[in-house]
Amino acid sequence: MKRLLLALGLSISLPALAATVKVVNEAGEPLAQAMVTATPVQVPAADLSDDGYAPHGVTNTTATVLTRFTDAAGAVTLPDDANARYRVRAQGHVDAYFEQLPATVVLAPMNQQQLYASYPSNVWLSQLSFGGDEALKKSFLLNCAFCHQQASPFMRNERTQEQWLSVIERMNTYGARLPDEHHERVAQLLQSEYRELREHPQRVPAPRDWEPHLSQVEMVEWPIGDGFSQMHDFLLHPNGYVYVGDNLFDRLYEIDTQTGEYTVYKVPHREDDELGGILGNRFEVFPKMYNYMGVHSFAYSKKDGNIFITPSMQQALLEFDVDSKEFIIHELPGGYYPHTIRSDERDRVWFTLALSSQVGMLDRASGEFEIIDLPARGWREWLVLKSLPLVFSLDPDIRPTPSPNDVSTGLPMPYGIDVAPDGDVWVARLYANDIARIDAETLEVEMIDFPYNGPRRLRVDADGTVWIVAFQDSLLVSYSPRSGKFRHFELPVINEVPYALNVDRERGVVWVNGNQSDTILAFDIASERWKVYPMPRQRFFTRDIEVSEDDGAVYTTNSHFPTYQSEGGVPTLLRISPLP
Amino acid sequence: MRRVPPWLALLRRTGVACLALLPAASPAEDHGQWRHYGGDPGGRHYSDAAQINRDNVAQLEVAWVHRSGDSARFGAAMERTSTQSTPILLPPAAGEALVYCTPFSRVIALDPGSGEQRWDFDPDIDRRGDRPFRCRGVSYAEEPRVPAGAACRHRLYLGTHDRHLWALDARTGRPCADFGDNGRVRLYGDEGLAPGEVSNSSPPVIAGDLVVIGSTVIDFARAHTPRGTVLAFDRRSGAPRWRFDPLLGFPDSGSANVWAPISVDEDLGLLYLPTSAPSPDYYGVQRPGDNRHANSVVALDIDSGELRWDFQHVRHDLWDYDTPAQPILFDWREGGERIPALAQLTKQGFVFVLDRRDGRSLWEITEQPVPPSQVPGERAAPTQPKPIAPPQLLDPFLMPGDAWGLTPLDRAHCRRQLAALNNLGLFTPLQQDLTLMFPGSLGGANWGGGALLGDRPVLLTNINNVPFTGELIPVEQAPSGAPGDNHPAAGHRMRVTMAGTPYAVEIGSLQSFLGIPCNRPPWGKLVAVDLQAGTIAWETALGSVHEMAPFPLPVHIEWGTPNLGGGIATAGGLFFIGATMDRQIRAFDVEDGATLWRYTLPVDAAATPMTYTYRGRQYVVINAGGHHMFSRGTGDYLYAFALPQGDESP
Repeated sequence: MKRLLLALGLSISLPALAATVKVVNEAGEPLAQAMVTATPVQVPAADLSDDGYAPHGVTNTTATVLTRFTDAAGAVTLPDDANARYRVRAQGHVDAYFEQLPATVVLAPMNQQQLYASYPSNVWLSQLSFGGDEALKKSFLLNCAFCHQQASPFMRNERTQEQWLSVIERMNTYGARLPDEHHERVAQLLQSEYRELREHPQRVPAPRDWEPHLSQVEMVEWPIGDGFSQMHDFLLHPNGYVYVGDNLFDRLYEIDTQTGEYTVYKVPHREDDELGGILGNRFEVFPKMYNYMGVHSFAYSKKDGNIFITPSMQQALLEFDVDSKEFIIHELPGGYYPHTIRSDERDRVWFTLALSSQVGMLDRASGEFEIIDLPARGWREWLVLKSLPLVFSLDPDIRPTPSPNDVSTGLPMPYGIDVAPDGDVWVARLYANDIARIDAETLEVEMIDFPYNGPRRLRVDADGTVWIVAFQDSLLVSYSPRSGKFRHFELPVINEVPYALNVDRERGVVWVNGNQSDTILAFDIASERWKVYPMPRQRFFTRDIEVSEDDGAVYTTNSHFPTYQSEGGVPTLLRISPLP
Repeated sequence: MRRVPPWLALLRRTGVACLALLPAASPAEDHGQWRHYGGDPGGRHYSDAAQINRDNVAQLEVAWVHRSGDSARFGAAMERTSTQSTPILLPPAAGEALVYCTPFSRVIALDPGSGEQRWDFDPDIDRRGDRPFRCRGVSYAEEPRVPAGAACRHRLYLGTHDRHLWALDARTGRPCADFGDNGRVRLYGDEGLAPGEVSNSSPPVIAGDLVVIGSTVIDFARAHTPRGTVLAFDRRSGAPRWRFDPLLGFPDSGSANVWAPISVDEDLGLLYLPTSAPSPDYYGVQRPGDNRHANSVVALDIDSGELRWDFQHVRHDLWDYDTPAQPILFDWREGGERIPALAQLTKQGFVFVLDRRDGRSLWEITEQPVPPSQVPGERAAPTQPKPIAPPQLLDPFLMPGDAWGLTPLDRAHCRRQLAALNNLGLFTPLQQDLTLMFPGSLGGANWGGGALLGDRPVLLTNINNVPFTGELIPVEQAPSGAPGDNHPAAGHRMRVTMAGTPYAVEIGSLQSFLGIPCNRPPWGKLVAVDLQAGTIAWETALGSVHEMAPFPLPVHIEWGTPNLGGGIATAGGLFFIGATMDRQIRAFDVEDGATLWRYTLPVDAAATPMTYTYRGRQYVVINAGGHHMFSRGTGDYLYAFALPQGDESP
């Protein structure tokens, strides 16, 4: 009832008027697909009294941001909001800002320097050749492009080779695994090739033009947190809320997208837990964080709606009771680094255990965990995997951490997981370049070689086809279990390294994130055609994707790490939906 | 601001043109000489003298030593001095004396060949107050409106500690009777203020027919400090011509003064002002917004004092990141085009390269999102500008894992301290928890600025690389008493009051129980920056720590030291610099940073050297008087070095 009243109140208070603005260039010609963004001037007061962050149980309100695009006539209509300031952005033109939207906005053309600076990271990245060593570039992308954009202005800043080496070594403590023997060479190449690009920016290809379908959608953003937060995965829940995890601050945000209100639930940890959890504080040199658990991936029970979360820093599984708002910590009987999680129709919760190369399953009916070993690729790998409990029994300060090298690909790292309509479970192993099918009844594992590089996350469509992103190969890949055949599809933007994807089973659309190109990409399965949606902020690292089966609205988060490198310096939940 | 009629501006420009035709300023006579504090009006710190060069610099010897007599005359007051003066050599028509000022604003003229004193002028300054005494130099101009041969045709201008602008006859040192009140003009800033709250450090500059002067303001003791107004006077009469308040009258703050040297661009008719932080340094609740034009390079029209453009490199400063160094003018090449440019060094360790015509950055500026403040009511700027090149001249990333120590014990001590710090990287605002300030207010770069290699766009600069920590202390918990004069560079903790705010501030260096900085050396370094390529050509440690240990060590340990003072480059392929906490003056090879010569002085030389050629012999001169921030002893020495007689190359 309270939510209903709030919604009614909101609809009453919504601006009754709408303003139509026309965007033109200096010649007076209409600019189609110009992006007009309305940001609140008065930001709602927020309780951030817990060391700059919202305390547990507090409900704050976000400063919701709305973006729409002009049509072929250069016109767009937005709510006439007295509390908004506006930014008008079009490719090749200088941003314009207004306190009140005029009837006509004239955008000035960028000069050449501004134009190059406005290009997204992927087109700059496309021009890094790594001295012609394609394998080295892929190794670099695999290890260095899954958290943040490479070739952004932050990366293109001149650094000495020593400074690059320092960065690489620091990143390897964060979780990158760039082989030791590549460090010097990569530092040298980054220093020289970025400089070469800065001096010859004309070599950088222009990004893809924004296209007419944009005038049919609107984008809404809900910013929460600050430049040190990281919105990782999230969940559209049948109760109408969106649940977003702040991976670095152990918080769960319950967002009401109707009102912009969000309630904060601080994820509990055991008293003797240490910062960084059992993995050791691998972010020891990150300026600010509070991640004892590491809120990573989400799934909900189709039986009672409770939410299950993988706390990647612990040997545990989190359950959030959506009614009582209480957390339950389930201790795992084994396995390390709970990663991606999904649930099935039988109220079983499946998740990858990335470090120990396992798949965990909680059968909620029995309350029992099943830990399924994925096969090792050799006796050495088997030995390493079996010795993990011994290794993790040691204090992080004296724990052996083998240096990655170019010969071994390291641990297989099961990453993405999904449950097919027939109940089978599919898993992608990032470093092993294979996928696994787990029989839902027998729990037998079948391994299938993946003929591409970097299978991070996968999803299964309504027909049972498995869709996989090939990260460093910049491809969308499908696998038909019936035919046993793979197909690949080039992405519509160059040098993208897709992290995740989701399938709109209702509409037959695969949504792929474009973390280097400030985009999200839609692939129509039937027509095999793409649509590209530019993000309203630069350095918008899209990661998880959720689709509202009801209306086809698509949600993603700006998951750049660190967030302060993004335009605006704050993580946002973003929804793309058809214009109302 | 009063507008200057076009006819008057033209007349003044004509006067400038006349000046250029004066025989005393002929290029031949200026060859190898040092007529301006920064070597030239654009602060290049460069001399085309090449008699002393890579091949013979190792033979340099002391040519003469002059003592100003300050030590004997002022006794205990010397503890509050820092000797920062760079002499200038007057042209022959003006007497060809070597002229400098002492920390107590005395002006002394010497024979350039022997160092013998010719005359001495003592303005007998008001020495009350607790501000340290220093004087970076004097300026010279020939005044065409005075008949040739008459007194004060050739003038020296001096800004004193107690806020007077003096005009002296360059030949005799006597005040010029036609200037102000019998040779001096009372500058603003003494009405109702504590003695020393406003003072002077950098020399005034000559621009057209004006003499222009900034000020030093204590910007951390009170919330509302005096304005940082820049003043221009007729250089003959001392009549006020225009004034410029960098905060444009913004009432909720003060300072934003110009204490670093100003650069003059007669070609474009512009002055470039390096403005400092607004008051108070570390708390901005009472001064919301960007606080323009503090922390900026500001270009003013010489004739009218009107603002032409500005470039703000720190918004809403909460770190005392003054613009510390003279803007350095040079030519930027783009395609076949020559663009008048300037390089601005900052305490953050950035080098901003700007188009002098409009202030546009010639390197792409990225807006770096920075941490918010945790202080109630404080709205830190969400982003700060960062040039995409050249790279930052120090690495401000310092985390517990980076802790450094001589032994496992002191390293562990540093690691523990770092782990407990509020540390969100560069631009972390102070709060009530101890916060890392890296770089701190010492820099990065400081007032020593940098030296260009002549027409090559290569900049050599000395950089500090020591971390500080600071915290806000609620006034009710702050110890009472006057602000201390301790400084973190000497290993002390310094407390400042910020009266009128809810907080005092305490700042100190981040060091182990051994007194060693917690970051990896070098703690001071010399960096060569290719401005055109946007790269660091080389860098090397600057200074030895052998005198910083609890007891002096017999050998040099070149780990770099904190440093204050600048360096100069010469056509001989050399870079001369003192500045370090080891009593050394050194000569480096400009191509690779190799140390080619060094000499041990009686005390630290926290001044920028200069060089000149007199009667066929090239001299390198440096003031050695120590620096009160270093707490390592003071003196009143001026050292001149030259090749042995008869060994000079042509």
